[in-house]
Order: sequence, then structure tokens, then C-alpha cells
Amino acid sequence: MAEEFNTEGMLDMYLFENTQLLERLQDIVLEKKDEEYFDEDSINEIFRTMHTIKGSSGVMMFDEITAIAHKLEDVFYFLRESHPQNVPHLELVEHVLEVSDFIMGEMDKLQNGDAADGDASEMLKNLDAFLTNLKGGGGGKDGATTGGAAAENKHEEPKQFYIAPMATNASHFYKIYITFFPETELANVHAYKVVYSLKEVAEDMLYQPEDIISDEDSAEEIIENGFKILLQAQIGEEELRKMIGIGYDIKQVDIVECSAQEYQRGFDSFGSEIRIDLDSSVEEIQEKAVNAEKLAEKKQEKKIAPGDFVIQKEPGKSKKLAKDKPKKAEKTTFISVDVSKMDMLMDLIGELVISESVVLQNPDLKVPGLKLDNFNKAAAQMSKISTDLQNVIMSMRMVPLTNTFQKMNRIVFDVSRKLGKDIEFEMVGEHTEVDKNIIEHISDPLMHMVRNAVDHGIETKEEREAAGKSDRGKVTLAAKTEGGKVWISVQDNGKGLDRNKIMEKAKKQGILDEGRSESSYTDKEVYQFITLPGFSTNEKVTEYSGRGVGMDVVVQNIQSMGGTLEIESMPGQGSTMNLKIPLTLAIIDGVVMEVGASSFVMEASVVKEFVSVTDDMMIHEPSGEEYVMIRGACYPVLRLGEWYHMNGYHTEVEDGMMVIVEIDGETMCMFVDRLVGKQEIVVKPIPSYVKKVKGLSGCTQLGDGSIALILDAAGLIK
Amino acid sequence: MDEANVLAEVTDVLQEGRDTQKDKYVTFKSGSEHFALKIEYVSEIIVYQDITPIPESEDFIKGLINLRGKIIPVIDVRLRFNQEPFEYNDRTCIIVINYKSTVVGLIVEKIAEVVEIQESNILASPSLGKGDKTQNKYVYAIGKVGDAVKLLLDPDKLLNDEETLAIEKASDGAGEAEEEE
Repeated sequence: MAEEFNTEGMLDMYLFENTQLLERLQDIVLEKKDEEYFDEDSINEIFRTMHTIKGSSGVMMFDEITAIAHKLEDVFYFLRESHPQNVPHLELVEHVLEVSDFIMGEMDKLQNGDAADGDASEMLKNLDAFLTNLKGGGGGKDGATTGGAAAENKHEEPKQFYIAPMATNASHFYKIYITFFPETELANVHAYKVVYSLKEVAEDMLYQPEDIISDEDSAEEIIENGFKILLQAQIGEEELRKMIGIGYDIKQVDIVECSAQEYQRGFDSFGSEIRIDLDSSVEEIQEKAVNAEKLAEKKQEKKIAPGDFVIQKEPGKSKKLAKDKPKKAEKTTFISVDVSKMDMLMDLIGELVISESVVLQNPDLKVPGLKLDNFNKAAAQMSKISTDLQNVIMSMRMVPLTNTFQKMNRIVFDVSRKLGKDIEFEMVGEHTEVDKNIIEHISDPLMHMVRNAVDHGIETKEEREAAGKSDRGKVTLAAKTEGGKVWISVQDNGKGLDRNKIMEKAKKQGILDEGRSESSYTDKEVYQFITLPGFSTNEKVTEYSGRGVGMDVVVQNIQSMGGTLEIESMPGQGSTMNLKIPLTLAIIDGVVMEVGASSFVMEASVVKEFVSVTDDMMIHEPSGEEYVMIRGACYPVLRLGEWYHMNGYHTEVEDGMMVIVEIDGETMCMFVDRLVGKQEIVVKPIPSYVKKVKGLSGCTQLGDGSIALILDAAGLIK
Repeated sequence: MDEANVLAEVTDVLQEGRDTQKDKYVTFKSGSEHFALKIEYVSEIIVYQDITPIPESEDFIKGLINLRGKIIPVIDVRLRFNQEPFEYNDRTCIIVINYKSTVVGLIVEKIAEVVEIQESNILASPSLGKGDKTQNKYVYAIGKVGDAVKLLLDPDKLLNDEETLAIEKASDGAGEAEEEE
């Protein structure tokens, strides 16, 4: 079957939709994890999500996903209908996360073209146990409020759910007979689901056995005898069939339309249907006959006819009961666009910006005596439009950090639970918007930092108690934009970094300068040591951190985006990691300069000033290093031409220009031949075929079509 | 045959589509040998243009060129084969190849022609136990065109031998951000 079923186009849609659903689900769960219980909205939402996933997975024939989603749906169905008390909330949260992880994992496999072959049976078992426990526990301790409550909520009378018949001409009367697969667990819940779905259209409804929610034994009865519904509704049989649907739980649905009189006779008339139903196969008829007999026995005890319990309702309209459909949220219209198309658009706009400068700075325009008034007017208009265009595409690519932060919430939750720490997670400014590219690159470093904060930052409960701190740790993730940069900080109120420990380790690893006394290292410098490869002060390697890979990778990743990391720490009060990252990677303001025959660009924000120097300002060390004294300050000098072993560059300082570059509080002078000017540049990657060159972060096309290399100040200062 | 004609011919063949491209090769001269590249790998041939050198890269990588807004690296085939460098002039051509989405320009001494080499005329490159190894690893077969012999180039080897692969791997991790921009 599965092979014959072409699902290719559907698969993309399936993955896309379900990923979104699951992300939303995780958000809800994490939002509510610290509360005592899920509120009604969340329960409904989770229920619906699982229902949708179950449905679509069923269509796609991913059985394990269907099964697990169904199971979780059952759990939430029970929660929703029965409002049990004493739900072990954290356990439930874990179950939900586990299921969503499983499905995510399966979807990852599918995305990569593998089969979704994960085994959910363990989880199914756990969830089963959980559900049984929930029911059993609730029923045992305060049965009156759990099972009873459900009954009261739904039923006019504990024994019967009922809506009065308001016969209109358009009304049809149906007898519905549902057979469940004998292995269906909790058939009563499944049956109730059918009832629930029919409620929306029912003008009148009666079902048997009636106490399907409060009485667990009804499950057996349903399996054995089937589930019978008398329904008055305005919809046709086909529609009805669709609403009930045949899933892996429901084996067969028989629907018979009957007259109002028959309907009035209630379940008695089920027997007569055998005679009417000529289409049924022999087996079916026999089965029904058997059932009818059984039914006849039963109905001795319970005989309820429609009309006993009356709710007035407007005729002609389909009835919607309590627990109505979800209120629809105000919708902004979105379309999802292939990211590669966005990138292409971005590239094209980049090209446009370049060609614009090619046109506007065209040498042909430099002919003296040319009257350019009209040209300049038109050019100004064009520049305005292209700037607007740039801003729009930029804003399209801007994505709030919310999702990324939510992921961190999840990590805090997982890690803190496993480590037995009680940690509060706070997010500040999660709506800050950042370029999509940055989001992609920021997730991993953040994850490391958050893990570190939870794992080594926050102390154990005992330690906190001993230190006289509140026993609840706190991790704060904050984001803001300032001056074209995004600032993201990960703060914990843990024990802080131990300067002595770090120094000791640094000494052992031989990182310290021989000539420097230990006390001359500033705290900031010391803390920077933890970003070196293979440096971890944690004696114990835990599952999450302590192997000493991590911080160096974090720093590498951050630097590759042109960002920086700063570490602050107060012993006993916690540490803060401050990340500073450019808002966007694509178009930057650059200063163009030349060395020899090559052009280089440096991001304008790191260039402090340009200075012409004379030879007497230079200081030469015997080791070959050079310094320059400018207004009393001494800067190390980097001659770009020499550094890159180029040809034809100026060697006399008087011939060239010093560019003072400042990044992370470190300054240096870069010696170049000429300054060309400031220009907006479109950052392009250096083709991956060329190996990575130190100090270069990309390349760009200049106004005249030539190529300039983009210098990475952080890489050069190192 | 002169360059302009070859360029025109290559462009024609490239535009014609798959069927006519079968068995067609672009040949060029490098040193004393004639090399041939399957035309399906060739995306175009351009005349020499200014190259922006990349500091600190391998000798044979001459730098970057701007191909209508696309920035692509160019390599010097002679240097790649460890032959003596040669002077570029305005007759020097760049063959732009696209092999598995890696777009690279090859600077060649002289474009010769587009030839058709039937499969029956292609011999596996004789594996020599000794000497000539440096050259042999780029050549996967030998094609006969009349009396002449063309060395068929393996673009994979040309672009990525073990040496460059190792370098790429090393730079991959660090260069991620740039690559995905």
C-alpha cells in the first residue's frame, strides 16, 4: 500500500505543518511548565495539535507517529473532559515533550529521506500507564469530582447525555452503529470522541451505553456490543460518515436513516434495522442479529426514550455545545516562501545596489562641463527606491528571537530536571528581531552558554542553601538591539567563575605569559581563558558540559558572524555572558582601501580614524614588531601588504595611511597604501573552493566591478 | 583554429543541449600536451580578465574573478600540473567549469578546439608504475582523434585531490558563516 501511495508533494507539506504545530506545542508546554496544571486553553490546544498530527500522519501512513499522537490525544482528551485533580503536572509535561521530540525526530528522518522507523512502543506503554494512573488515581481519591464532574459537565442527568428533538422538515433521523476493533483500548473514550464530534450537528442525540465517561467498564461493553447512537441532525449520511470516520480504532460504521416514529421508540428500534438493512452482508446481518439480541436483554434495564430531557434550542441551526470550537485568532495573512528564493532576491538586490553605484559613479559622468541636473535628480530618486527596497528585504529577513529563546527554555528545563536543580528561566526582549542568517548561527552558541549556566553556573540546592541564597536558581536570557548590533546576554545567579581555579588551570596548560605576574591579569582577561580550546574547569564531566569543547567553539561561531563575547562574573553572585552580534550579515557599511594592486574593505564601525604618520612616530622592537605613537598612545602596527605577503605595496609609512581599528576594546593600526572611501557593500562569501584565509571574512564587488576582500578585524587582531 | 571561432563553437554546442553534447570535448593545450574536458562540465569560456589575488592561498589558485556578479575562483592549470608558469596575455582564456556545483575558472594557455571522441576511441589511461605520476592522476583516459592523442581530464581530480580536500575540510568548520551568507 504504502509504496503505491505517492506522497512526495504531500510530505513537504506534512513536515512543514507539523513542524510548526510541534513548535507551537512546545511553546505552550514550556510556558505552562512552571504552573500547577495546564489551563483549559492549553489542554484544548495540545489536544487539537495531537489530533491534527494524528490525522495527517495517518494519511501519510506513519503508524508509529499516528499511534503516539493518538495516545497523547487520549490523555488530553481525558484531561479535557474529566478535569481530573492531582495530575502530576511535571510528569505530564515530560510526556508531552517526549512525544513531541519523538515526532520531531521522526520528521527529521523523513526530511533526510530516511524512513520514519522509530519505535514508540515504550512511550506508548508509559503513556498508557500514565493515563490509567490518572484515571485510577483520580477515581480512587476523589471519584466524585473526577468521573462525576465529567458526567455533570456533559450530561443533564448523570446517566444520559441528551438534547431534545426539535423536529424540523430538514431533520434526518439516524441510527448509528459503531463497531470498534476488539483490541481498542479505552473504547469508551473513543466512543465519546464520536459523540463529541457529532454534538456539533446533533439536534438530538442518544447513545448507549450512556455512561461511557464515568464508567470504565463501559469500554468492554462497547467492544462487545458495539456503540449505538440515535441521532437527529440535518446532515446527510455521507457527511455523517465523514464525521465519524473510520480510523484504526473504528472497525465499522453502520448508519441507517429511520423515520421520526422509529426514532421516538429509542433503542428498541435497533432490532428492526436488521430487516431494513438489505445492503448488509450476511455476516453483518448475523452480527447485528446477535447484537440485537444482546441489546434486547440490556434494554430491559435501561429504557430511555428521547424527549425525557429537554434543552430548548433554535430549530434549523446546527447545535454547538459547550466547549465550543476554538475562537479564531485575528489572522495576519502569511505566505511561506522558499528561503532560497528569498536569498536570491537578496542577492539580486545586492547586485542592484552595485549596479547602481556603477551607474552613478560612472567615469563617463566625470567629463567636465557636463550638465547633470536632471540626471542627478533622477539618480537621487533611484537611490531612494533602492534604499527602500533594501530595507524591505531586510525586514523580510528579520525574524524574532522568540523561537530560539523558547528552545533555550526547553534546554533549561531538561538539563535542570536531570541535574535535580530548581531553575527559573526568564526571557527578556525575546521579540528582538534579527536577520535570519544570524538566527541560524546563534542557536548553537546560545545553547552551549545556557547549558553551561545551568550545569556549572547554578549550584546544587545544597550549595545554594549553604551560601545563603534562595534555593531557586535563575537563568536570564536577554536580548536588545543597540547601534546596529544585537546584544544577547545569558545571565545566571550561580556561583560565578572562580578566578583562582582558572588561573591554576591556565598555569598548568602553560597559557600564561612567562613575564607577567599573575596578579597583573585583569578579571576580564582571566575569564577569556575559558574560551580557549580544551579549557574546562569543571572537574567532573557531565552529560552536558565539562569536556572543554564548547566555549571555544562558541567563540569561534560568534566571531565568524562578526560578533564578540564578553564574560562578566562576580564570585558568589553569578556570571553574565554578553554577546554582541551585527544585526545583519548581508549589507554593511565599509571603508574601502588599497594595498598594492588589491582592494580591501573593512567594516566602518570598527574603523576609528585614519592618520598619516611620519617615520619618527614609529617604534621598532628588535623582535621585528612595530608600534606607532599617535597623540601619546601606542598602537601595534600591522602592515597589511607584509602580512599577506603581497607585492608592490608601500613600505615607507609616509607614503601610506594608518587606519586605527578598534574592536572589543583592543586597538591596532593597520598600514595600507591608500584610502578609497566609504561605501555600502554587499557581503559575499569567498567561494568555498578557496581555503579559509586568516583575517578575511568575505569578498565583495566594488562599484567598478572589481573585487575587494573583506577584512575581519577580530581575526586580524588575534 | 583561432580563439574567437572556438568560443563561438563552444557557445553553440553549449546551447544545443544534451544530445549534441555527447562525446564532445573541449580541448586545450597546456605545456606540450593536449588535454580534453567533457563539454558537459564546461559552462562557458571567457577571455582573460583581471584577477583579484587571494593572499595566503595555494599557488595555483590565482584569485577571484567577477563573472557577471558571481564571484568565482580561478586556477592556473599549468601550475596545477606543477608545470612552469606562463605569461598571461589577451589571448589567454578561462574555461569556466561547473563540477558538482563547484564553479571554478581554469586558466589555460590556449584553447584548441571542440572535438568529438567516440567511446570506442577512448582508452583507459595506462597505469605507469613509474614517473609521470603527478600528471597521470588528473588524466583518467586517453582519447584518439585521428593521429592526435588527447588526455582526458578528470575534473574531480583537477579540483579536489587529496591535498585540497584536506584543506577544504579544515576550513569548512571555521568558514561556515561566510559560506552560507
